[in-house]
Amino acid sequence: MMNSGSSPPGFPIFRILAAFPIAGFCGALVTDIAYAATADMLWADFSAWLLAASMVAGVLAAAAGVVDVIASRRLGLLWTAWPIVIGGLLALALGLADNLVHSRDAWTSVMPIGLALSAATVLVTLITAWTGGSRVARINAVGVRP
Amino acid sequence: MRHAMLKLGCGVALASAAVLALTGAASETADSFDVRTQIGPNPVLPPLQQYLLPPMHLAPVIGWKPGETPKVPAGLRIQALATGLEHPRSVYTLPNGDILVVESRGPGIEPVTRPKSVIMNWMESLVTSGGSNTGSNRITLLRDTHGDGKPDVRTVFIDHLASPFGVALVGNDLYVADTDAILHFPYTTGQTSITVPGDVLTPLPGGPIDHHWTKSLVASADGSKLYVGVGSNSNITENGIGAEYERAAIWEVDRATGAHRIFASGLRNPNGLSWEPQSHALWTVVNERDELGPDLVPDYMTSVKDGGFYGWPYSYYGQHLDPRVQPQRPDLVAKALVPDYALSSHVAPLGLVFDTAGGLPAHYAGGAFVGEHGSWDRQVLNGYKVVFVPFSGGKPNGMAEDVVTGFLDDKGQAHGRPVGLALDKTGALLIADDVGNAVWRVTSAAPGQAADAR
Repeated sequence: MMNSGSSPPGFPIFRILAAFPIAGFCGALVTDIAYAATADMLWADFSAWLLAASMVAGVLAAAAGVVDVIASRRLGLLWTAWPIVIGGLLALALGLADNLVHSRDAWTSVMPIGLALSAATVLVTLITAWTGGSRVARINAVGVRP
Repeated sequence: MRHAMLKLGCGVALASAAVLALTGAASETADSFDVRTQIGPNPVLPPLQQYLLPPMHLAPVIGWKPGETPKVPAGLRIQALATGLEHPRSVYTLPNGDILVVESRGPGIEPVTRPKSVIMNWMESLVTSGGSNTGSNRITLLRDTHGDGKPDVRTVFIDHLASPFGVALVGNDLYVADTDAILHFPYTTGQTSITVPGDVLTPLPGGPIDHHWTKSLVASADGSKLYVGVGSNSNITENGIGAEYERAAIWEVDRATGAHRIFASGLRNPNGLSWEPQSHALWTVVNERDELGPDLVPDYMTSVKDGGFYGWPYSYYGQHLDPRVQPQRPDLVAKALVPDYALSSHVAPLGLVFDTAGGLPAHYAGGAFVGEHGSWDRQVLNGYKVVFVPFSGGKPNGMAEDVVTGFLDDKGQAHGRPVGLALDKTGALLIADDVGNAVWRVTSAAPGQAADAR
């Protein structure tokens, strides 16, 4: 039987939505590097779209995560899954700053602060996904036991 | 700032405390800066700043109620020459005294290239006169047969133009600068409408993008050449340097053949092309770049030297590099000229006329009037008025004075915004007011003086 209460960190909607910023922030780092190498505005525009879409998906993922936890009536999960909470919020804060820097015009929309923020966002996002993911997997393994 | 102001952030509509602190600091800087230090030949240039959220302050448009007018100092008088126009951007006086009002809208073809485009388009829609009416992109003729400042003839002179701005008459040849071409029309004195389609003298850089679309136009004294202002296709190359081909320049067009050459370049958005009466030099007002801070870069007026390069996009005020431009061009920066006279930052000068007709008090004789459309990217509004810059010996000589004010109310709302300027046949100053949808006429308060000048 489906029972979200017994497998709270399974968060199917959260996990689907969280995939978008992970991919999007990584993509923006690649297009930032391409812009830094070529100074072709096409790449900076790609970065701006990827960062904006990642931000929207990231905020939606966070909202879905909160809804899941509240619905499960196990607020302690926020504590258990702290790497996801802290890492996720940090990634969103960095992503917001990166979006704003990318709203500048031409070269300084990426170089050097935009590229640095994109790299930091990717780093935080990947660490969060890795540590948070493995922790959630362990919790799941325990949680699904009757 | 207790009044209802429209403060808008660019970017994702979430702001962290740090971001708010940054913009707060920016507005303090703007409040304490004396803009008068940026008026004249040697403007103070503070260090450039770049923001997460650039300071912005838009003046909501409220229009003019019947009987309301802008304000003028003692010795002058202002009246509406015409109201109920559709976004009038420039005015031109024909030799018989008929006044052409160019009603014009931007082409609106700038593509959405990134999320910022969406936000900028929306902000721009807040500060134009709006509405869905299509009765623009035409030239309206006004004729005042009684000479009382109240036109009794009003006709559509030329219709179905493409974002027109500049007008120049040479003999019986009338030229209209659409955003994408100089059109030629045959004209005979006294004509109140032209229905024949214009023929293209010279195509001009229009779409795609067409970021700065107003094409200012003036003919040389002998009528052999036309000079056209062609604004840049971006703020600062964010659409790629390829989009700037032959833009940010003043073109010289041969009237006989339509051939053109670049007369001067590095002028981000040159408008108000006019001949200075003593030196007979070509002068222009220029809108400089945005988003380097509330007090950078000062807009300016300058004489235009043949072959001169004035910095855009690589540098401003000579050799001050703009870090947003890559690759840089040290060879061009080295020869960048410093403009003659700064008007202070973000005032958006779009109109320029020299007082050559003697219809206004002698104080103004030979000096320049500048129409300042007004700022959007600084916390404290700047511009939104017509100023006077005294000249002597062919050069600016002294501090700019406010001449026509009151376009803003005390709540920071815009009744109107001045754009193009001209003198009428009596020497009165005409002001196109694009969001107030009016043309204003400024005369000498002493009626005898104006009559004597006729």
